[in-house]
Amino acid sequence: MEFAIFFFFAAVAVIFAMVVVLHRNPVVGALSLVASFFALAVMYVLLDAPFLAALQVIVYAGAIMVLFLFVIMLLNLQHMAEPATRPIQQFLGYTSGAAFGIGIVYFILKYSVFMRLPEGPFIADARAIGIRMFEAYVFPFEMVSILLLGAIVGALTLSGRAVKGGRAAIGEEVGR
Amino acid sequence: MIPTHYFLILSAVLFTIGVVGVLTRKNGITIFMSIELMVNAVNLTFLAYARQFHDIHGLIFVFFIMAIAAAEAAVGLAIFISLFHHRDTIDVDEANLMHW
Repeated sequence: MEFAIFFFFAAVAVIFAMVVVLHRNPVVGALSLVASFFALAVMYVLLDAPFLAALQVIVYAGAIMVLFLFVIMLLNLQHMAEPATRPIQQFLGYTSGAAFGIGIVYFILKYSVFMRLPEGPFIADARAIGIRMFEAYVFPFEMVSILLLGAIVGALTLSGRAVKGGRAAIGEEVGR
Repeated sequence: MIPTHYFLILSAVLFTIGVVGVLTRKNGITIFMSIELMVNAVNLTFLAYARQFHDIHGLIFVFFIMAIAAAEAAVGLAIFISLFHHRDTIDVDEANLMHW
């Protein structure tokens, strides 16, 4: 049963990830990526990490992908035809990607095959993560919050369009 | 119980798809989504090894990676909006402002 769930959602994740890479319409790509992230959240549950599965759904599939979709629709990219890549770039991209994938799968199967897990249950719920994080990782945690603050300021600074005599007001952004 | 290397292989496959996406696409946002796919593949590897070695530090690392991915997505998309305002396209081949 567990294996059936694993293989089903692994297939979902891989197929939708391929749709992201192969489909020409970025809206379809973004929605496929949401589906792929949901399948990965199932993987996190199978790995005994329910708290991170919830975070995956809320932060990735919820917040980040909505940001992507919002920008795609704001810029009207779904109607913009993407020019074809040069054939040499296609060829090199696919062959080197395939070589990389085959190589990494080969080395996983050679050096990283684990047949057994250690004894005992692995407790990785929100309580265990929270205790460990605020014991040993308080400083990185605060650094990440400062980083997020900096990202907010940076995003606002970058996306506001500079015009003569200061920044454009929000309403003026529409008429380009 | 599913063996750890199944998850590692799934993660490798997803990472490879992300690499191919970055190498073969021109649309900046699609490239960015491929990068997010690679970040998620790495997260899956962290969680698989965390369970294999019963070490909760892997989960805390994934937590920080998620926060940093959120910051990266915000700034990256702001850069693409800015590029679109200047060039009317997000084709990364057109983004040659800094070439010499």
